[in-house]
Amino acid sequence: MPETTLSSPSPASPSGAETRQEVRFRGGGFAPKSRRWVAFVVFAVIIAVAEWGTRTGWISALTLPRPSDVLQTLIDLYASGMLFKHLGLSLTRLVVGAALGASLGIAVGVTIGLFSYVRAGLVPLVAALFPIPKIALLPLFVIWFGIDEASKYALIAFGTFTPTVVATYGAVDNVDRSLIRMGQSFGLSWLSIVRKIVLPGAMPGILSGLRISLAIAIILLVAAEMLGAQYGIGAYILEAGSLYDLERLFAGVLILSLLGVLLSTTIGMIERRLLGWRS
Amino acid sequence: MDIRLDAISHSYGETEVLRDITLDIPSGKIVCLVGPSGCGKSTLLRFAGGLERPTAGRILQLGTPPQNCLNPLTYIFQDFALLPWRSVRGNISLVLEDHGIRGARADAIIADVLARTKLSDFAKALPKQLSGGMKQRVAIARALAVNPAVMLMDEPLSALDSQTRELLMDDLVTLWTRTPFTAVYVTHNLNEAVRLGHRVVVLSRRPGSIREIVEIDKPLSERGYADSELETIQKHLWDLMREEARAADEELIDA
Amino acid sequence: MKLSRRETLGLIGGAAALGLASPAIAQNRKTVVGAMNLTSHSGSFIALERGYFEKAGLDVELKFFQAAQPMAVAIASGDVDFGVTAMSGGLISLAQKGAVKVIGGALAEEPGIDGQKLLASDAAFQAGLTSAAGLDGKRFGVTTAGSSFHYMGSKIAAAEGGIPQFVPLQKVGAVIGALKSGQIDAWSIVPHIAKPLAASGAVHIIGNVSDFLPNYQVTTVFTSEKNASGDKGLTEAFLKGFSDGVADYDDTMVDRTNGDEAVDEMVKLIHNYVYADRPLEKAAPSIINGSMRLNRGAALNMASLGDQLAWFQAEGLVDSAITLDTIVDASFVETIDG
Repeated sequence: MPETTLSSPSPASPSGAETRQEVRFRGGGFAPKSRRWVAFVVFAVIIAVAEWGTRTGWISALTLPRPSDVLQTLIDLYASGMLFKHLGLSLTRLVVGAALGASLGIAVGVTIGLFSYVRAGLVPLVAALFPIPKIALLPLFVIWFGIDEASKYALIAFGTFTPTVVATYGAVDNVDRSLIRMGQSFGLSWLSIVRKIVLPGAMPGILSGLRISLAIAIILLVAAEMLGAQYGIGAYILEAGSLYDLERLFAGVLILSLLGVLLSTTIGMIERRLLGWRS
Repeated sequence: MDIRLDAISHSYGETEVLRDITLDIPSGKIVCLVGPSGCGKSTLLRFAGGLERPTAGRILQLGTPPQNCLNPLTYIFQDFALLPWRSVRGNISLVLEDHGIRGARADAIIADVLARTKLSDFAKALPKQLSGGMKQRVAIARALAVNPAVMLMDEPLSALDSQTRELLMDDLVTLWTRTPFTAVYVTHNLNEAVRLGHRVVVLSRRPGSIREIVEIDKPLSERGYADSELETIQKHLWDLMREEARAADEELIDA
Repeated sequence: MKLSRRETLGLIGGAAALGLASPAIAQNRKTVVGAMNLTSHSGSFIALERGYFEKAGLDVELKFFQAAQPMAVAIASGDVDFGVTAMSGGLISLAQKGAVKVIGGALAEEPGIDGQKLLASDAAFQAGLTSAAGLDGKRFGVTTAGSSFHYMGSKIAAAEGGIPQFVPLQKVGAVIGALKSGQIDAWSIVPHIAKPLAASGAVHIIGNVSDFLPNYQVTTVFTSEKNASGDKGLTEAFLKGFSDGVADYDDTMVDRTNGDEAVDEMVKLIHNYVYADRPLEKAAPSIINGSMRLNRGAALNMASLGDQLAWFQAEGLVDSAITLDTIVDASFVETIDG
């Protein structure tokens, strides 16, 4: 072995002072940190580029509306009072449909999680229903439930139902079995075990399922308002699309995005409140 | 109230786990079950409390549990099994609610068991805020709350570090000395067995059967850390088990 | 790439035109014409099948669309050169953005010729909706807001002093379904769809569109702004071929000056594109039923277009600052006023 210049931990070369070197730090990265302001910067930059591009003509009016025009459209919409007419109807559809779908989905999901026969019978059915594009069923829903609100509620309810079922029974399956066994060992009744151990234990899974279900509900809102809706954010967007009115189109899409962010924040708050026990 | 395991045998499919075990758990004594891993000692404990059924044999309660006993056979689990969404107090009231004990009566029981386990200041804490040792003390408090006739303890100290374990052993000894309770204590740790057991049952490797029963007469309160008398017994137990433990360790897992 | 090549070809065409001093210019220029499987697009079908496009120097490829809206967008994007569609709010918006231009007229209502019908669902009919006078407050089916259905419904009801509710259903098929099942009360549609529906008994014809909107310019010929202003040679050549096709159609199917044999022959030609999934015997009556006037020489009814624009603006569907000149380039064809 030739003499090496690397410093060695061996006490045989205590005089290797000239090769002393600080150990290089190599443990950085791979640790996500909260950097909230970055999102705002990204948004601001995109909007600024769009504004500048449309003003200079670098982006044609056919490609993208001018952000300031979109804002003006929103202000006009608000001033005309139509914003709340659209929003009110859409929110009603969203709330009624999603509440129906999610509560039914949680109920069915819990029964699937608890009873083997129900699981054997319903899991394949839910798996068959899950991938159906709900939009394709809209004409059918119109025949079943009429062209008015009921068919819109039904479409949104159906769309939120299946993902909620899947998330819920998965969450029930994931409840720590040792906790259930503990309940049994203390002689708790079946109902007590379900109410006090299974349901709270499944809550994190159910809530994260709801996050997805509610996003799907917003997507389906536009689909639900395709047939027979004169007012509503979805109808507003569709009308703007058929008129090729990009300002209104983007204004509508912006409202939907804000609705999504709002919903997601709300669930986040509920999670923090209900799931504070998580370590 | 005594418990008798009467000719218990058990197999999972082709695999025989336990063979012909007959054992008495006398009232007011702690019986430790030790044995190499996979000898079926935890399975035996689950039979004892009715959480599983053996293929053959019976579990008998001899005598009636005391009047104020809510749950005669009560477990303490290795992983504590605390509901993370309930406070210390809530975890204890959980096992009282089903017996219709609420309000002032529940408060009195909870205050008593928390005092006995030195947790009075932590009633409102959530499990995530507690150390492992404190969590297990909550589990013990919860078990005491139902005033059990027999405590079934499944490796209760195995998830804890060795210092915490020492402290908890002292706590258990204090608890027992104040009010002697009946317990079946499953452990793979021979030191725990000789410190807490009035009787140590050594099981052979799979299929588990009783190899030897060692009685330790020295009172629990007099057994201390690094007690030479106990070390002799512990060495004897280890000699009984060493070959089996080695063989068990080298077994292929085909679960 | 495509555009620059097209521009180069245009220049060559222009040069050739100068040299020959004749409007017949381009030779086998690849041209994409948007069409839908409707009789109102027969001008293009005939011009292609009978070689009128070829004679005008165009190598035409038909590209089919299920709805007018995507066709308008395809023209705006340059994927399609020419198309025929109703003057909808979307088309006006695209014209305003400088993407498309109306260059000629096609389907038109003409008094005395069977045109679009006003329909009522059976339930509404039984409840007393037997003429346009009862439309006030009724549910009138439209594909989308700002579609030609919206215009017709609004104008017809307004003529009788009524304001219906307009129910958007996106697709013609959905409107038919909703009308049959009584989910909507009324609709207006071309005769070859209206008549079989009425024959089935599920709906009733309660009026003619032409009674309320005489000379209504239903569909127009349009192209991209680039073709209209920068490639006049190509546009002229297209209109020449198209007009020849239209002339054949009007002679044979509308004015019936060529005899029954010619009708049969033309039905056979159109059947290649319209109702192609049905046997000829079944398709023929529908095709004949659907014969409405296509404007000769692709003439433009400016009065009707002006009226339509005014309605769109009054309804707030399009920008009120738009003038007819922004939408229409009337320099290619004759105009009809009134």
